[in-house]
Amino acid sequence: MTYQVILVEDDPTMLDDMIATLKNSTEFNLEATFKNVQDAVGQSSVFQPNLFLVNVDNPETLNNIPIFVDIFPDAKILGLVSNWNADIAMNVIATGALGCILKPFTKQDILDAIHLYTERGKPGLSRIISFFSPKGRAGRTTAAALMAQVIAEESDERVALIDADLQFGDLPIFFDIEPKQTIVEATQDIKLLNPLNLKPYFYRLSHHLYLLSSPDRPEYAELVDVDSLADVVRLTCNLFRYVLIDLPAGFNPVSVAMSQLSDTVVIMAMINNGFEIQHMKKALEVSKSMEVSGDKRIYPVFTRVNPCTEEERLKIEEKLGYHVSDILPNEYRMISLANSGRLGKSLPKDSLLMKNLRKIAEGIITGER
Amino acid sequence: MAEERSSIIISIFSTTPGIGKTVTAINLSAGLAKEGYKVCLVDLDLQFGDVLNYLKLSSKQSIATAQRAMQIDADSFEVKDFLITYEHEDLTFAVMPPPFYLYDAYQANVARIENIVKQLTYFDFVVLDLNSAFSALNLAMLDISTIINFIGVIDFLPALKNFKIGYDTLIRFNYEESKIRLVENRADSQKLIESHDVERLIGETFYHRLPNDFPAAIKSINQGLPLMFCAPDSKLTKSFWELTGKYTNRKLQTDTQLQGVQTAGIGFFSRILAFLFGKR
Ligand SMILES: Nc1ncnc2c1ncn2[C@@H]1O[C@H](COP(=O)(O)OP(=O)(O)OP(=O)(O)O)[C@@H](O)[C@H]1O
Ligand SMILES: Nc1ncnc2c1ncn2[C@@H]1O[C@H](COP(=O)(O)OP(=O)(O)OP(=O)(O)O)[C@@H](O)[C@H]1O
Ligand SMILES: [Mg+2]
Ligand SMILES: [Mg+2]
Repeated sequence: MTYQVILVEDDPTMLDDMIATLKNSTEFNLEATFKNVQDAVGQSSVFQPNLFLVNVDNPETLNNIPIFVDIFPDAKILGLVSNWNADIAMNVIATGALGCILKPFTKQDILDAIHLYTERGKPGLSRIISFFSPKGRAGRTTAAALMAQVIAEESDERVALIDADLQFGDLPIFFDIEPKQTIVEATQDIKLLNPLNLKPYFYRLSHHLYLLSSPDRPEYAELVDVDSLADVVRLTCNLFRYVLIDLPAGFNPVSVAMSQLSDTVVIMAMINNGFEIQHMKKALEVSKSMEVSGDKRIYPVFTRVNPCTEEERLKIEEKLGYHVSDILPNEYRMISLANSGRLGKSLPKDSLLMKNLRKIAEGIITGER
Repeated sequence: MAEERSSIIISIFSTTPGIGKTVTAINLSAGLAKEGYKVCLVDLDLQFGDVLNYLKLSSKQSIATAQRAMQIDADSFEVKDFLITYEHEDLTFAVMPPPFYLYDAYQANVARIENIVKQLTYFDFVVLDLNSAFSALNLAMLDISTIINFIGVIDFLPALKNFKIGYDTLIRFNYEESKIRLVENRADSQKLIESHDVERLIGETFYHRLPNDFPAAIKSINQGLPLMFCAPDSKLTKSFWELTGKYTNRKLQTDTQLQGVQTAGIGFFSRILAFLFGKR
């Protein structure tokens, strides 16, 4: 396939370089070049471009990307940046563009970026969903892992699981893998990372599902800088449409920062002796003042609810004094499945646990949640 | 700064949450009190402590109000003003409540809490109910503990991994092996991992095994009573009594007079921690 390209770049020298790069190519056919975005917006419609390369170092150009998206809904749009910057990259994705590449670039860089960003899924911002719980043993890891699998299957888009339970992350063992790279390396290398070299830090669990593992030893958690972790998550959004984060229990710098970064926080508690409802209430009350909630979507979820009925949900809701978005049943096969490292693969699709999780996942995919 | 006399500090620690630390802390405290010792149970699960919940207690004072009082006027600070008493029949022990507000818990100052705990020397035993992380607070508490009661329910692979990693980490942090007591909770429940396999993996034997009795445990929590009152015949109750006896050398002593109280050593490994964690 040949890309019909429109190039928007205000730096004349840079523009000349790019024209030289794209010339005499079977893959690219340069339709037009523009030095400013107004001209591009005004004149592009006489061409039939299917690829826009636009300099997003210039904020005005960035702000006009939605217009290209509007006029050419099927065209691909790449932002061109001089330096890698996670914030700009997020803004670019938010406009509906595919993502960013660094200037100067080669033809192969463009093809690689298109490939990578297309695999990510539909254009648009990623969903970042954190799994929080006031106390531990709340079913966070189970819910995050199963939900990630369901979203990957049903959306046919890329899903990242990030194990940010830094001291005692269980996701590698849930999936029976021994990762070579962990969150420690990813955060330490963050200054050198961009979307094109981030992927090797992830372990591919299935077709669309990837895992960034927790550190191998509890004390390595101290090596993970929270701000760098936030940058890793933002970078991850360039490759994955859905980013699910398993948090440590309770309020701590990691869980608070990750919740703040998320658009959705699932707050989990496992029914045991009744006091977990009180703890949930306390967590919900405080999450407001800690700016964890903001304008986010907060879903209080109780698991191991028996019987798992609407009546029971209402009972919990009444005790809690807050809306209970979902309840999950006691699934007795859970322990042996987690033991086998074959989580999810062997849990029947029609089991109530999977059904209820699928409901949440589908809501997230459609955007209703 | 060795004091003439100090308490035996027993910390109840785990690296998997929700496995019975608080139940153990309460029943151990009750057992020690039953033997006639002066006991203080400190709830150091600062954000979501359960000791007051499980004992049906309420309190205006807490370790947070204690912290504030100490900050304002260290000289007139008296730790006993911030303790409450649990009483049932002839049994009594003191409780240091956790902060009421999450915000206070989040802001807790490790050095000040350490200072508060160190002022509990007039008790024979101080039992610390911790949470399940290698936090600065927990490490400081493990440092000053005489005994670390490292407890786990090893029912599935992640729990086994976290028990082993937790133990290995304690050893790497240079806690003396003799100070760490491995306790398996719900040891006889139906599970896929055998106790002796766990011991083989850890390279250490369990100091004590607590049996599974969910109805008794739940009854105790719901009634706000230690097991000895609400489930006197449960094998779990008996097992807690045995564990208490191990910590008091009940068999070796004819009366319940406490002799030769150990000092709570402050390990040299604080320096290693400072190296590893920098910001302690
Ligand atoms: N719906 C369920 N039914 C039955 N058992 C469950 C269910 N969800 C989770 N479990 C079991 O409960 C235990 C804790 O679950 P999980 O590890 O997901 O919780 P967590 O909140 O991540 O715990 P931690 O705080 O230790 O990280 C595991 O043994 C898991 O298999
Ligand atoms: N030996 C036992 N047999 C049966 N159930 C038990 C046993 N010990 C504890 N439990 C149950 O396990 C649950 C958790 O106990 P507990 O609250 O003491 O754990 P924890 O380690 O303090 O948890 P957290 O980490 O959340 O503070 C309780 O509801 C209790 O009923
Ligand atoms: Mg977990
Ligand atoms: Mg507890």
